[in-house]
Amino acid sequence: MNVLIPYSWIKDYIKTNAKAENVAKALSLHAFSVEKINKIKGDDVFEVEVTPNRGDALSVLGVARELKAVLPRSGFKCEWMQKDVKIPQFEDKDKLDVIIKDKSLVPRFCAVVLENVKVGKSPKVIEERLEKVGIRALGNVIDVTNYMMMDKGQPMHAFDYDKILGHKMIVRESKHDEVITTLDGVERKLPSGVIVIEDGEGRLIDLCGIMGAKNSEVDENTNKVLLFVQVYDPVRIRRASMSLGHRTDAALRFEKGIDYEGVLSSLFEASEMICGLSGSNVSSNLIDIVNEERKLKSVAVDYEKINRIAGVEISKEVVNQTLSDLGFESKGESVVVPSWRYDDVSITEDLAEEVIRLYGYYNLPGKLLTGEVPLVHKDLSFHWEDVARLFLKHDGFFECYSYSATSKKNVSKDALEIINPLNEDLLFLKTSLLPQLLEVIDGNKGYSDKIKLFELASVYHSKEGDLPNQPLMLGLVTKGINKVDLKGIVEALFDEMGVSSYPSFNVINHGGGRLGVEINFEELIKLSSKVKTYTPLTSFNSIKEDLTFEVPEGITYQQVERIILCSSERISKLEFKDIYKNALTFSIEYLDKEKQISSEDTQEIRKNIFKSLENIGVRLR
Amino acid sequence: MNDSLNLENIKKELEEKLRKVSSEQDLLNIQIEYFGKKGILRQLFSKVLEVPVEQRKDLGEKINNLKKEAERVTSERRAKITGVEAVENTDLYDSLPGRKPEIGHIHIISQAINEIVDIFKPLGFTRVRYPEVEWEYYAFEALNMPLTHPARDEWETFFINAAPDKKYGRMVVTPHTSSGQVREMLKGNLPIRMLNISRCGRRQIDISHVPSFYQFEGLVVDKEISTTHLKGVLDYFASNFFGEDRKTRLRPYHFRFTEPSFEVDIDCGICHGKGCKLCKEGWLELGGAGMVHPNVLKAGGIDSKEYTGFAFGWGVERTYMMKSGTKIDDIRYLFGNDLRFLEQF
Repeated sequence: MNVLIPYSWIKDYIKTNAKAENVAKALSLHAFSVEKINKIKGDDVFEVEVTPNRGDALSVLGVARELKAVLPRSGFKCEWMQKDVKIPQFEDKDKLDVIIKDKSLVPRFCAVVLENVKVGKSPKVIEERLEKVGIRALGNVIDVTNYMMMDKGQPMHAFDYDKILGHKMIVRESKHDEVITTLDGVERKLPSGVIVIEDGEGRLIDLCGIMGAKNSEVDENTNKVLLFVQVYDPVRIRRASMSLGHRTDAALRFEKGIDYEGVLSSLFEASEMICGLSGSNVSSNLIDIVNEERKLKSVAVDYEKINRIAGVEISKEVVNQTLSDLGFESKGESVVVPSWRYDDVSITEDLAEEVIRLYGYYNLPGKLLTGEVPLVHKDLSFHWEDVARLFLKHDGFFECYSYSATSKKNVSKDALEIINPLNEDLLFLKTSLLPQLLEVIDGNKGYSDKIKLFELASVYHSKEGDLPNQPLMLGLVTKGINKVDLKGIVEALFDEMGVSSYPSFNVINHGGGRLGVEINFEELIKLSSKVKTYTPLTSFNSIKEDLTFEVPEGITYQQVERIILCSSERISKLEFKDIYKNALTFSIEYLDKEKQISSEDTQEIRKNIFKSLENIGVRLR
Repeated sequence: MNDSLNLENIKKELEEKLRKVSSEQDLLNIQIEYFGKKGILRQLFSKVLEVPVEQRKDLGEKINNLKKEAERVTSERRAKITGVEAVENTDLYDSLPGRKPEIGHIHIISQAINEIVDIFKPLGFTRVRYPEVEWEYYAFEALNMPLTHPARDEWETFFINAAPDKKYGRMVVTPHTSSGQVREMLKGNLPIRMLNISRCGRRQIDISHVPSFYQFEGLVVDKEISTTHLKGVLDYFASNFFGEDRKTRLRPYHFRFTEPSFEVDIDCGICHGKGCKLCKEGWLELGGAGMVHPNVLKAGGIDSKEYTGFAFGWGVERTYMMKSGTKIDDIRYLFGNDLRFLEQF
């Protein structure tokens, strides 16, 4: 998630001689990537990409804390400017009756009431800072809650205290189909399990952690404000915000975890700010309900392991100093994780990351692998894929790559359906490569009269109670090629792959001169062989000739072929040569391995062939 | 008049005979039969005198045409059998460009994959294959991303409408090749140097994203593996793939399945890290990498006290497009199958 951080605002926390460009580079190399520096009203506003583990850095304070550790390591001065937080004067006047149905909903619940609030415009400096981070100014009270969210990373909400009927709050999970109108005026129907607050009259007054409700908002007539600062269950917030499709800045922070110890100081600072801006004063006691005790979290520092992960020697002193600069407190052989990193740091590897990134990953040298080379049996299927690709390329085929998903009309009944497709045309996973290849032919109509395409990819057939069958297939689609030629290409590919007995395959006519063949490539690989066997050569010559036969209806090539081959052992080769109407031409080769074959011999063989063929009505032409 | 019919038949017969011819000798015999002194065509010409005077001119013309046709088909056949073109102007013939065989094209993605495999092979990496439709467990949980974790948002995952498995969760189109990491570890063979190149899917489509794409994933697990080894392997890849003088740089990042995690940059081929119009401060982003998280090793049944490892997984298309010279400005072309595009590779 990207966050906007004005440099002038950072300077509330640190004093440094680094220029904006220096800050951006140092942050990018040691902490977070600065995507760009926007110039807004004479200020440098950093656009920082904060990784999902670092919710603490979605704030000016968080980025400043990083800089305090990072800048001195990049050759710049950096001094931390401590701000003291005043604890307000509480008064036991206004009360809030709080019922929390399930403690896990809200690990920490804090609030105060402020009275004599005069709602008005914020001072220019606040309005401008908000504008720089992309937030519209909406009046002093609301502006302070937004300001504090950007400053501390703690989202907060302000209710009109008198619109909380009965001054009572019931924090609970929503029931299915409950309705709430949020501050943006949108009426939202809730699924069950969303954290909500109900007031004394049974009205929903807050869509917790996401957005407040319209019925309890602060307006120009507001006199008392309930300032509300919480830590919510991140999982419920995330689920609710996703299912409602309402990803607010508050929700995005709550779901990444909130600094548990920062809650009170944020509340105090915010109430002080509001009091100062609106002439109000605190009129209640501090409400601080702790539903989940957080113990201090310690992680052992394993110096050896840190060095092993880095691959270079980083001294104990450097490790300790780095961790201390990042807010880790040393306690013997361990460190205490700062409250704002509570969810993020748990193991030595996490500490190693902190230490090495501050050391500078870019400072690490590169080493090639040494040690044992794994003994593995190579998956030969990749070899055969390449054999097929090269073969087909040299026969004029174009290799295509199509999406895994396609439309309903292109798939068979056992296709897998995508729950969240990009569109209707990409609703099912493909069960055959051919439909999309045929579409490629149609999409390239003017390209040439003759087109040959292939694709090597998996198709997906559902299987009860398991992952689908996802065999690798070879699909061939042609236009302007006759069936016999396409069959010949496939069979020549079989030869190229050392397949001795051809698997059966079908050339399907798809109309418009388009033919298609699909072959299970995994099955084909099982039949393939790299072994080449040598047959001893003879010193005798063969005799070759072409023979053309008239073949009557109902007789297949294989019948004729078998009869010819059976009629003599001295036929060393018999190949299909040509067909014209019902005239079938063979190339035939005669060879005697014992002696030189003579024309008398071949004449005799030929006679035998003719005689045998006559039985099925096949005659020499 | 039935002469014209005869002429047609003569032509058809000749064509039929030519079609069956397979040797030069046979062809010569046919030529003698038709064009010889006592050949069929000569005999036809002699018939011209036998018809009435007013028809002679017409018939003569027809026979002439037939003769030309017959010569043409015969020389065509000769050219086919002998491989020598029938030309009279040898100067022209000798000056002709060669006639290229029809060669097709291997897709640029396949070419990129082969190039990547060839680079990693000498380092002992072996290419593997894992399911493209995969269980959520291998895509996320096994990679230290529990069901409710926000990090999962980064992967725009396609879910399949099928009954979830009690142990492995929902069925997904694998959004990254990292789903192969734990499967590889569970094979039980150590050390590991895996190269998993596979088709993945994510729910996005624009100039730099397509719903189907390829990733290549390197995984090394061994004793004493450190970040410097990752850096060494990446530099080796960069200098072989992008150019001898190119280098990589690691920056901090976060992935749940690596700790520490990195973003890998390569120095700009134009300015070599100084900064220019084409790059960001002299560096271009390549992709993610990191040291394998102990929880991932654990899911793979490997003792993280004894073994460490690193992994990287990047888009094949994206990486290839960053190679200078490719100049493809829209990734969608790669799956568009426009033959005018494919023929360029």
